[in-house]
Amino acid sequence: MLPSSLPAFHGFGLGLRVPHYADFIATQQPVDFVEVISENFMVDGGRPLDIIDRVRERYRVALHGVSMNLGSMDEVDIDYLRRLRELAHRVDPLWISDHVSWTGIDGFNSHDLLPLPYTEEALDALAANVAIAQDVLGRALVLENPSTYLAFADSTMTEAAFLSALCERTGCYLLLDVNNIYVSATNHGLDPDDWLDGLPLERVRQVHLAGHSQGRDMLIDTHDAPVPDPVWQLHARFAARLGHVATMIERDDHIPALGDLLAELQRARDIAAVAARRAA
Amino acid sequence: MNLDQWQRRFAASVSGTGGHADFDTRGMRVYANNYRGQLITALRDVYAKTRLWLGDEAFDGHAARYVDAHAPSSWTIDAYGHDFPEMLEEAYPDDPDVSELAWLDGALRQVFSGADAAAVDAAALVADDWDRVELVFVPSIRFRRLRSNAVAIWKALADEAMPPGSVELKAAGGVRVWRRELSPQFASMDAHECDCLDLALAGATFGEICELLGRWHGPGSVAVEAGTLLRTWVGDGLVRRLRQG
Repeated sequence: MLPSSLPAFHGFGLGLRVPHYADFIATQQPVDFVEVISENFMVDGGRPLDIIDRVRERYRVALHGVSMNLGSMDEVDIDYLRRLRELAHRVDPLWISDHVSWTGIDGFNSHDLLPLPYTEEALDALAANVAIAQDVLGRALVLENPSTYLAFADSTMTEAAFLSALCERTGCYLLLDVNNIYVSATNHGLDPDDWLDGLPLERVRQVHLAGHSQGRDMLIDTHDAPVPDPVWQLHARFAARLGHVATMIERDDHIPALGDLLAELQRARDIAAVAARRAA
Repeated sequence: MNLDQWQRRFAASVSGTGGHADFDTRGMRVYANNYRGQLITALRDVYAKTRLWLGDEAFDGHAARYVDAHAPSSWTIDAYGHDFPEMLEEAYPDDPDVSELAWLDGALRQVFSGADAAAVDAAALVADDWDRVELVFVPSIRFRRLRSNAVAIWKALADEAMPPGSVELKAAGGVRVWRRELSPQFASMDAHECDCLDLALAGATFGEICELLGRWHGPGSVAVEAGTLLRTWVGDGLVRRLRQG
């Protein structure tokens, strides 16, 4: 059964990370929402749950997971989903998101977002797991495009077509990571500007903006640097097509002072304002 | 190759148990590096004091060997590395401080997000028949016996002070780790407290613990010794409630 629709939320937020917990709890920061890594709070007790409760008193929260393993040929882990559902009951999140990827198979967990070939077989496996997850969680999921470092000769559709078919089959929504689009497109010799073509833009509920680094052979999605200019420029071109959508800065390593991230977020606000004026 | 076979080969390639032949080497190298880097970072994070004690190079060598031998299976990376202290015990059979320090690092991390439970206060210590009472402990509690001064080393490293040299304890002892409200705690124990805690956690009655204390201290001192032990445990927030047997 397709899940009920997920209302849009227009705002600007930050990924909440450990060095900034105290800042967010002590004072109202100028954000409309925060996004937390679900797994960090899917615990039995202690300080993590105290923190999420106090954060939730001030902010709307999006739950963003990295371990749902939706693209695996293994069936999605029901115990994991039940724990996530418990957290969702506690937090009442804007939405629950994870990735269009797999993390492991047959009892192995890589703790990384592994790529899928864009084939009917992969779509079947992914859609089946998304349906189970949405059923257990009682809500539509929001799913993010990952950065990829391998392209597959046997892919029969583009990433956008794959995501579009996934939305149609499962009723899920999309989280577009503009940095991941830039990284994947660059790594695979594609034009990132073409990426949105064929995508059901009305299904996009959130945008991630992040930085990457130059690896030996390709760009690596390290989330350890400010959003670079090419990603800002791509985001600005996309913003006009996406309209109002929740947008946030995602930083996972080399976490700077909160003020630096808020300044980056202001740039995202400015881009949205320009896009809105042009659309008017 | 169907998707199931393909994912199994991909996973083997990422974890280093299979070759890269089926995949583009440049791309697979990124996934394999991410995998190892992520796990080594997790070990560095949990076993931070052990890393300080061993030094980066030695620690990373052991971490790399651990990653080679232990593929993660849980959805949470917090579950990774539970056997690391055991591996260090094998690597340093004559230096118990290393594995004991790692055990302490690991235990403190485990209790950090363990189940919540309110501890009883002294005023609630009322029982009809103390001999048959069992002590129910907070769920976070764990302990181990120690051969070294790992507790003193850990404290010094935490305080960024010069740690003492490793020495074998003259008298046997141990350390208990638990969480009081939101804060992980640890305390050294002498051998008698270790034995009593071991017995109590196994479900012994207070009467059985008193019998043990009587064998060590003589019947005349049991009441004082038992009272001191109970006050310490309750005062430290280890006891959740009394269960009348």
